[in-house]
Amino acid sequence: MAAVRFTDVDKRYGDVDAVRRLSLEVADGEFMVLVGPSGSGKTTALRMLAGLESISGGEIAIGDRVVNRIAPRERDIAMVFQDYALYPQMTVFDNLAFGLRRRNVPKEDIERRVQTAADLLGLEALLSRKPGQLSGGQAQRVALGRALVREPQVFLMDEPLSNLDAKLRTQTRGEIKRLQHEVRTTTVYVTHDQVEAMTMGDRIAVMNDGLLEQVGTPEDLYERPANRFVAGFIGSPAMSFFDASHVAEDGAARLRGQDVDVRVPDAQRLPGSVTVGVRPEAARLWDAGRNGIVGPVRGTVAYVEALGRETFIGVDAGGSRLAVHQEGRTALQPGDSVEFGFVPDRLRYFAVDSGEALG
Amino acid sequence: MTSRRDVTLTYTVLGLFSLIALAPIAGIVFTALQDPDGLAGFGRFDGIHPGNFADAWRDGNFGQYLKSSAIVTVCVVACSVALSVLAGYAFGQMRFRGSQVLFYVLLLGLMIPMEAMIVPLYYDLRDLRLTDTYWALILPQIGTSVAFGTFWMRAFFRSVPRSLVEAARIDGASSWFTLWRVLLPLAMPAVLTMTVLLFMWTWNEFLLALVMVTDEGLRTAPLGLSFFQGRNQTDLTLLAAGAVIVATPVVVLYVFLQRHFIRGMLSGAVKG
Repeated sequence: MAAVRFTDVDKRYGDVDAVRRLSLEVADGEFMVLVGPSGSGKTTALRMLAGLESISGGEIAIGDRVVNRIAPRERDIAMVFQDYALYPQMTVFDNLAFGLRRRNVPKEDIERRVQTAADLLGLEALLSRKPGQLSGGQAQRVALGRALVREPQVFLMDEPLSNLDAKLRTQTRGEIKRLQHEVRTTTVYVTHDQVEAMTMGDRIAVMNDGLLEQVGTPEDLYERPANRFVAGFIGSPAMSFFDASHVAEDGAARLRGQDVDVRVPDAQRLPGSVTVGVRPEAARLWDAGRNGIVGPVRGTVAYVEALGRETFIGVDAGGSRLAVHQEGRTALQPGDSVEFGFVPDRLRYFAVDSGEALG
Repeated sequence: MTSRRDVTLTYTVLGLFSLIALAPIAGIVFTALQDPDGLAGFGRFDGIHPGNFADAWRDGNFGQYLKSSAIVTVCVVACSVALSVLAGYAFGQMRFRGSQVLFYVLLLGLMIPMEAMIVPLYYDLRDLRLTDTYWALILPQIGTSVAFGTFWMRAFFRSVPRSLVEAARIDGASSWFTLWRVLLPLAMPAVLTMTVLLFMWTWNEFLLALVMVTDEGLRTAPLGLSFFQGRNQTDLTLLAAGAVIVATPVVVLYVFLQRHFIRGMLSGAVKG
């Protein structure tokens, strides 16, 4: 096992900067998730680490070794691909053994390691089948097994769950996490799904437009997003935003915006105008109990998303649409007028122009 | 849902066109089997007289012609298939400077017909003292076949999911090993189809053989057939028997290989 280090890494395709000055350290044994929307550079970063893309600038190291000019097969990594990339003409056993045979591992060792991986992933009954005879979930487990038997320094996973259905995805998510915990191999995992990122990663690196926006634990990212992009990307439903002016008022402060006029504790020194970020759970209906919330803010219900145990109500207020959290169900309908308030210490503030977090 | 009427109509149309396509072939075969002493007429069936083939074989010196054809065709097809697979792999899977330009240059070989290059080619080969040798038939045809073969194999290698090759690279396979053990087993249907096509084209090549060789011992089967026709203007039966002899190897190869055109080897390799 080994740590991974990106130092000022660039990737350019002609005039396009796919990755810009990426610096990121993945600790030995850590599960690092690279997350971001399409085109954010996360897959490119992973492919550079794998050696499948050249590096335009900067340096990538695995352990103590700079790998910029080292061929993929000499980097001691294993990769799980989005489309699994199993060798169709080979049996599951041969698929698992392929990488070991290329490395001249003794035959008995291959047998043993393939068996161990097959046990771990429940593939024993499938070893003599060919990939064409496997279901999506089984093919996915074989792909994981192929990485596992190699016992590499680093696992690389490129959206390995995106071809599975929702239920299987949730299940496999847990399985990958459990496996990684058992073998403790450094893992870099790419996904565009923030739920995967939040549930799997020891730490998460959020990328956007080729830039690394923030690195941190899931809790860091959720509670202390570095900027508006991260705040809006992490969490489901997303954080909502509205613009307001911030005026100091005898020991506290007042947030004034369209439809909004609330008193908040002035814990932070903020500029005169700010973008306020509200997580759904930081906004509650006024009637549900006014304890600990400030308001009221009036608005119109735009949508009601009832999930059974909880409900998210989209409310048009303050010149934008805010998600409001409600335990259980609600009788509200789109078009209804509604009053709600904020949990003041859960509000987040961002600079209006740069989007950087304030306070 | 297709109705019964649709199915009937489809089969009628397909049957009709099959008949149109097969009629001349059946005609030649029937003609070849006619009574040599009877009244010759194209496509007329008056019993089976396999002796015609023996007569044609002997009179037309087809043993010699077929041997020449076999030598030329086997050399051309073997070399072209090997070179096309390698070149197609390079163009389809590897990134290197000038690959686009080089590929277009190669395509020229596909676009320029033999008729357009036969004259300069003759002088070139004559300068090299290669006319009237098998080389004069083999080398130019390898050139034209590789143009098509590369084009064909490149299309195949491009259709292979990139991740399959990348997985092999990460697993420790060299380029050569990836081609040999990962890609080629998948490419077998494409390679066999190419083999049949190249075999057919090489076997049937007439103009090149006509221009390049004058030695009776080097003449290929289509050329032999043409000379045979010149000598046997009147004996339709013998001519038909000769045509059947010349066409048979291609038909046999096709029948043999088409069973191996395994489709769908890629299904299940990747989610798709």
